[in-house]
Amino acid sequence: MQINTFTRYSVVALLVFVVLAAIPRITDDISILDTGIMICANGLFALSLNLLVGRTGLLSFGHGGFYAAGAYSFGLLMQTGMFSIPAAFALTIVFVAALSALVALVCVRLNETYFTFITLAFQMLFYNIILSWTSLTGGDQGLLGGIPKPVFLGIDLVNPVHLYLFCCGIFLVCVVLLYQITQSPFGYTLRMIRDNTERARFLGVAVNRYKVASFTLAGAFAGIGGMFMALFVSGAYPSFGYWTMSGDGIFMIMLGGMNTFLGPLVGAIILIVLNDLTTIYTDHYGLVLGCVILVFVLGLRRGLLDFIVEGIRDRRASKMDQTIQPTVPKEEIPR
Amino acid sequence: MGKTGKRSIHRRAFVKGIGGVAMVAAVAGFPAIVRARNTGPIRIGVSAIMSGRVAQMGSSSTNGAIMRVDAFNTSGGLNGRMIELIIRDSKGRPDEAARINRDFINRDDCDMILSLEASTGAFAVQEVVRELGTLCMHCLSETSSLTADPKLRTPNAFRSGRQGAHDAISAGSYAASIAKEKSLKKWMTVGPNYAYGHDTTEQFLNYLNHFSPDIELGSQLWPKIFQPDYTDVINKILQEKPDAVFTCLWGGDLSSFIEQGNLYGLFDQAQYFCIALADYTTMAAVKHLPSGIHSGNRYVSTFPGSAPNAAWEAEYVRQFNSRPTNWSWEAALGMQFLIEGIRKTGSSDGNEIAGVLPGMIVNSPFGVDGTITMRAEDQTIVEYGTGWGVTQSTEPFMPNVTPTDWKLIYELEAAWKKEQGYI
Repeated sequence: MQINTFTRYSVVALLVFVVLAAIPRITDDISILDTGIMICANGLFALSLNLLVGRTGLLSFGHGGFYAAGAYSFGLLMQTGMFSIPAAFALTIVFVAALSALVALVCVRLNETYFTFITLAFQMLFYNIILSWTSLTGGDQGLLGGIPKPVFLGIDLVNPVHLYLFCCGIFLVCVVLLYQITQSPFGYTLRMIRDNTERARFLGVAVNRYKVASFTLAGAFAGIGGMFMALFVSGAYPSFGYWTMSGDGIFMIMLGGMNTFLGPLVGAIILIVLNDLTTIYTDHYGLVLGCVILVFVLGLRRGLLDFIVEGIRDRRASKMDQTIQPTVPKEEIPR
Repeated sequence: MGKTGKRSIHRRAFVKGIGGVAMVAAVAGFPAIVRARNTGPIRIGVSAIMSGRVAQMGSSSTNGAIMRVDAFNTSGGLNGRMIELIIRDSKGRPDEAARINRDFINRDDCDMILSLEASTGAFAVQEVVRELGTLCMHCLSETSSLTADPKLRTPNAFRSGRQGAHDAISAGSYAASIAKEKSLKKWMTVGPNYAYGHDTTEQFLNYLNHFSPDIELGSQLWPKIFQPDYTDVINKILQEKPDAVFTCLWGGDLSSFIEQGNLYGLFDQAQYFCIALADYTTMAAVKHLPSGIHSGNRYVSTFPGSAPNAAWEAEYVRQFNSRPTNWSWEAALGMQFLIEGIRKTGSSDGNEIAGVLPGMIVNSPFGVDGTITMRAEDQTIVEYGTGWGVTQSTEPFMPNVTPTDWKLIYELEAAWKKEQGYI
C-alpha cells in the first residue's frame, strides 16, 4: 500500500506533537513552554518568509507588516467580544491573506532590489498607520487592555499549558502545509522561477501569478505567527510591524539555512536561545549576535542546518565514491 | 582524528558534541530552581532599557533601586533574607519586556517585579502581571491611563512614578500665571512626533486654556524623535515670532534643540517652557544652558529643598559617580514601597504586600512635605514634589522651584477622569 506524502508528513507531525505534548508532563517549568511558544511564533514567521526568500527568490523586507497585521487584527477582533478564538483566528487569516494579496499585486511587478524596497515601503506604511491610527491601534502604546481569551472546546488559553499545546498544534499543521506546498508542483514551479525567471516565462508559467500566490501564502502564515505572539504577550505592539522584525526574519534564515526546509526554524531557535542566554548574562546582545553572524558567514558560509545536511550529503557521496571503484584506472580518467 | 592525521569528526563524536552543547544550553538556559517562598533570598525581577539610545533610562533607574536594596540588605534584610535584584535588558521592545517578565516569574521564581520600562513596555508588563497575578511596581511610565483607567488597572500593579496628567496641570497653571504676568499671548508648541509628544502637548494646551483662555495658538511643530537637526523648527519659530513656546522634547533631543537654538539666539526672543529640562543629565549636556528657561522639575536636588534630598543626591553621586535623574528617584521610591511592604507584612508574598500598599505613606526626600502616599483608589503615588522654576546657566541650574498645589491637581485630575469616563 502506498501512503501519500501528505499523510506521511501528517503522521510525523502527530508524533512530534506527542513528544512536545509530553514536555509539560515532564517538567513544571513554565518558562520552557513560553520558549516553545516564542519558537512557534518566530519559527512560523521565518519559515513563511523563506517561502519567498529561499523558494521563490523574492527578498521581502516587509514581511513583519503581515506578522503585525495578524497580531493586531486578531487582538482587535477579540477585544470586540463578539468572536470566539477559532472564529477570530479564521477571520484574521482571511484578512491577512487578502492584505498580502493586495500588496503582492503591486510588488511582484518589480524585480530584485526594487521589489525589496517596495516591500519595505509597504511595511513602513503599515507601521505608520499603526502609529497614527491611535483610536484603533493605541498608537505607540500598543493595543491596550489585554486580549480576552474565552474558553472554547475546553481549551483555556489563559492556562500556559493549553496555550503551549494550542500553539504547537497549529504550528505543526502550518509546517506540514508549508512543506506540502514546497514539495508540490506549485513549489517546484516557484523554485524554477527563483532559478531562472525568464526560462519559466518561456515555458508558459504565469510568473507574476505564482509570485502573488507565494506572497499571499507567506503573508497568511506570517499572520498566524503574529497571532501566536499576540496571544503570548496578550497585546499587539508597533514593534511587531517595524522593519527590524523583517530583519530578524532574514537573520533567522541566515542562521538556520535557506536551502533546507527546516533551516529557518533552526535559525529561529538559535536566535531565541541566544537572546535568552545573552539577556541573562550581558546587556551586549547586539555584540554577541554580530559575532555569531560573523562566525556563520565567515566560518560556515551558510546556515547551520544547510551546513549539517550538506556535510552529511557530501560524506555520503564521498563514501559512495570509495565504494564504487572506477573501472578506468585513475590516471586514465580524462580531465 | 583519522589514522592519516587528517582532521575529521566521527559521527559519534559529533553527536556527543551536539549533546554536550545541548546539555550546557539546557542547564544555562532553563535553570528551574525550585525554592520555598519564605526561605532564601527575596528575588525581584527588574526589566529595564539597558541598551540603545535611551540606555541612560535603564542605568540611572537601576542605580536608584540598587541604592535602596543595598541599604535594606546592609541593615540585615528580612530576618536575614536579602533582596536579590535580577536585572535584564528589554531593549525597549514590549514583546521582549513581556517575555523577560514571564521568565522572571516562571523561571527565576521572582517574588515581585520592579518594572523600569518606558510606557509601551510598561503596558506589556501590565498584561503579564495581570495574567500571572504577580506583584508589580511600575516606576517610569508617566502615561496616566496605566493606573487611571479602571479597564487597564489591576489590583497587583502599582505606580511609583509621576503622571502625565499631574504634570500637565502643573505646567498649565504655572505657564498661565507667567502668561498673565508677562502678557504672553501668542504661543507655539514643539513636541516629538509620537504619542507622548502629542498627548502631553494637548493636555498642556488644555490646562493653559483653562487658566488663561485668551491665548492665541500659532504653529504646532512635530520634529521626529531622535532628530539630529532642528534648523527647520528654529527657522519657523524665528519667522513666527511667538511670545512663548512650549516644548515637551526630552533628553538628547532637548539638549540638541537648545544647543542649536543658542546659535540663533532663540532663547532671548521668547519665553520657553520646557517640561523636561530640569534633569541634571540634560542640563549638564547643554554646553551653554540659557538662563531664564522655564522648566518642570524632573530631578533637582534643590526641590524639595530639604536636607534628606540633598543627602540622597550626594550619596547617589558617591556610589555611582554620576548625577541622578528623574528616573532614579522614581525607581528608588518604587523599591522603597516594596521594601516597606516586605517589612510591614514580614513576608515576600506578593499578595500580602499588595494588600498593604494601597494608602501606604512613606517618608521620602522626594515628597513635597517629606512623605509620599500610594493613593488607594488608583494605586499611584501622590504628594510627590512637582513644580516649575527658571534655569540659570551655572550650578545648581534651577535654584528655585515653585511647587504646584496638590489641591489644584486633585480637583482638575478628578474633572479629567470624569471627562475620560474613568470615574
